[in-house]
Amino acid sequence: MKQGSETRFRTRPQIWLCWLLLAGGFLALWPIQRAIDRRAGGVGENAEILDFHSGKTLRTLSLGHAGLLADIYWTRAVQYFGRKRIAHARRFELLAPLLRITTQLDPHLLIAYRFGAIFLAAKPPEGAGEPEQALQLVRQGIVANPGYWRFWQDLGFIYYWDLKNYKMAARAFETGSKQPGAMVWMKAMAATISAQGGDFQTSRLLWSEIYLQPETETVRRSALAHLAALRADQDIRELNALVIRFRKEHGSDPRSLNSLVQAGYLKAVPLDPSGVPYVLGIDGKITVGPQSKIDRYLLTEPSSPPEAHA
Amino acid sequence: MIQRIRTIAFHTFKESVREKVLYNLIVFALLLIGSAVLFASISLGIERLLLVNLGLSSIAIFGLLMAIFIGIGLVSKEIDRRTIHNILSKPVRRFEFIIGKYLGLLLTLVVNTAIMAGGFYTALYYVERHLGHEDLLLLDAIYFILLQFAIVVGLALLFSCISTPILSAFFTFCLYVVGNFLGDIRWLGHESGSAIFEKVTALLYYLLPNFSDFQVISQAAHGKAVPSYLLTSGSFYALLYVTVLISASILIFEEREF
Repeated sequence: MKQGSETRFRTRPQIWLCWLLLAGGFLALWPIQRAIDRRAGGVGENAEILDFHSGKTLRTLSLGHAGLLADIYWTRAVQYFGRKRIAHARRFELLAPLLRITTQLDPHLLIAYRFGAIFLAAKPPEGAGEPEQALQLVRQGIVANPGYWRFWQDLGFIYYWDLKNYKMAARAFETGSKQPGAMVWMKAMAATISAQGGDFQTSRLLWSEIYLQPETETVRRSALAHLAALRADQDIRELNALVIRFRKEHGSDPRSLNSLVQAGYLKAVPLDPSGVPYVLGIDGKITVGPQSKIDRYLLTEPSSPPEAHA
Repeated sequence: MIQRIRTIAFHTFKESVREKVLYNLIVFALLLIGSAVLFASISLGIERLLLVNLGLSSIAIFGLLMAIFIGIGLVSKEIDRRTIHNILSKPVRRFEFIIGKYLGLLLTLVVNTAIMAGGFYTALYYVERHLGHEDLLLLDAIYFILLQFAIVVGLALLFSCISTPILSAFFTFCLYVVGNFLGDIRWLGHESGSAIFEKVTALLYYLLPNFSDFQVISQAAHGKAVPSYLLTSGSFYALLYVTVLISASILIFEEREF
């Protein structure tokens, strides 16, 4: 009897109607949702809303699952950045707050500081063009993870590439080089950037330190090459100053360095640290000779094609 | 006595594993752990971290739900079904019944956590292609999750002795949430400037279960070992708190008339 009633129930037209409504209902939902998205701007528009502004509050509310929330926020930051990049956007308003919340939720999420700083510092449309925010993020990373020397490297690069502040960049690299486990090239970076910023004394001091450290032969050779280039740099600057003085006093350019010797500015044609005479280029500027063993790429003074007048 | 407690615990375990909600929760937890592999593909540089955080959080959250939803019916269900009369008419003392019930559910949770941990480690192996020392440190976090479950089951059992299942679930969950905010509550009392309020919040701080003591998931996810002092003190804290809760449950249950 029960079996019979169940069979009859299954064949009732109401059942077919229910199935029809179910399928039709689902199908109708699709255009409605599409219409809502068109009016509201879609999913991308919703992403511009930051539901929580404080990572600390979220951390308290997470009931011990702050790490998972940090991962979610970091993923959200990556997705937000990626979406903006694809759209060639020039404004990334939510990037800094998303990264701040992420790192407040998990202060040890190193990748969020490092990649986050790159996202923030790069100029639009490659990044948000907010190097100051990037610096702040990395500094927070240093405070939360004091033993992690790579943050000093990131700090140095932001000062160097994005802010062109060579003095601060060199200082960041030098401070980072003193952190436990830091690579020796951190000091080399500090030395190189010091020279670029015109601080030859600091640069020489750092390269001398690198040379004296028990590093590999390659590193020591590199340190020697940099020290030689620094010396050549300083010589070139001084010789260029003499050329300018000659020009003022004689009303014409010197034909070669011999002209400076004959005029009494120099006792003899000076030699670079590799023992090769400096030469006066066709642009009227001093440079190292074609036989010189000084690495031209290490010179901060622009090196003109070596063509001696005399 | 031990034999009787063991029998009740075993029957409670058997009864718990028959609950359909248990299997639903386990399947959902395992699905979530497995999906971490997919989630990681839309993020950057946190494949392992995301899997660990999501895996351990899933174990903690779903285990908590199991502890509450099964724990609240431990005693009240026996009373509603009137099976309590059958049990107590046998040579079983009331405290043996409570301890057996508690241990039975705890055993259920240990087994379920082991299953979820197995799924979690399988997903971890799938992502890393090997399991190293850093991965074994995660067992500390799973142990701390189990300690939390032990206290939650104790709370659920206590409320199950005095209230209806719905209210018991509500009270247990509220205490779990409050237990995660105890540090902030105490700080609030300290900042209020009121000596009485400060004393009240300090009293609550020591009286209520402090679940924030067991929050080591983030630490473990970053490959940091849980300090040995925390392992020891956390274990003792949980053991003492569970003792207090079971004692209170026995006291209430001894006075109850059916």
